[in-house]
Amino acid sequence: MSMPVLGKSDYRVLNVVTLKKMATTPVLAEATGLSTDQVEAALSALADSGLVLTAAGSAFPGDGADAALAASAAEHYAEVREDAGVIALVDRFEDINSQLLITMSAWQQVDVGGHKVANDHTDAGYDDKIITRIDRLVQRLGPLLAALTAFDQHFAGYRERFDAALAGIDEGRHELVSSPTQDSVHTVWFEFHEDLLRTMGRERKE
Amino acid sequence: MEILAEGYNAFETDKSPSGVVKYLDKPQDVIKLIQSGKLKEHILLVRGGTTTFLTPALSMGAIGVITMSGAPESHLGILSREFQMPCVMTAYLTTSDSRYEVGNVDEKHFREIAETLDGRTVRLDCTDSTVGRVIEA
Repeated sequence: MSMPVLGKSDYRVLNVVTLKKMATTPVLAEATGLSTDQVEAALSALADSGLVLTAAGSAFPGDGADAALAASAAEHYAEVREDAGVIALVDRFEDINSQLLITMSAWQQVDVGGHKVANDHTDAGYDDKIITRIDRLVQRLGPLLAALTAFDQHFAGYRERFDAALAGIDEGRHELVSSPTQDSVHTVWFEFHEDLLRTMGRERKE
Repeated sequence: MEILAEGYNAFETDKSPSGVVKYLDKPQDVIKLIQSGKLKEHILLVRGGTTTFLTPALSMGAIGVITMSGAPESHLGILSREFQMPCVMTAYLTTSDSRYEVGNVDEKHFREIAETLDGRTVRLDCTDSTVGRVIEA
């Protein structure tokens, strides 16, 4: 059975629901730039098709959400998938991503005599070094984010969210490095990675 | 006290959660589990360290996770440390010679682990700095 291609608003809402795994209407409105009425209307249509489920005040991706997004992305992003400049930048992303994961782990744990122990964040010099590394890795995404934004403005949102997280870290809010309950660098990075794979029609590498 | 499986320990902790292993194959399995209200009765078994659909379960208080692939540096490893939720990664059965190899995805390997562990009552032991253990409870 071929999947129907979602309209842009429905795609944006379902994409964010799937990226965040669960999301309330205000969160979806903020992330998509749509009004709460538009989000509600999109959620209602998506729920009728079984593509979202609602529970505990949040929307969750339903059966078929991934397939519907994949089919729609293939159509919406056909042009970007053929762009040689974007493809080259996406190819480089995997390496940057691996470095980011290692750096995030180094933020959480330090090596003491060959054993990983929790970073108690008492060594400001060590933490600063990791933060500098994270900042550089985010900056290395710049060309890819810019190239994708030229095709779809919603990618500009990642730049803004990265900048906000990095600015917060600079002000000493170190939870914005990796906290999963905040819009931390790791949270934004993770969502961007998923969105990128969907946009380009690629699979996640283990 | 039989060790059923071993793998990488995502982080060293004295927390030793126990529960019935629940194999989660797809995002909707996670949502159903959350809706059932029984999330905290289970140790969650998933296929990969890059499994991303567990996020709601983690934020709603999952007590422990076993993965069949993936490294402690993976997304799920990072999240398990943030949530301080014990996590045994790339677990293999102590009764089997089958091991996960990156890039060599053998369905039989995953199926054997899922079929052996799903429904068993286990306890996770993550006190070792590198090895995480799944122990029959």
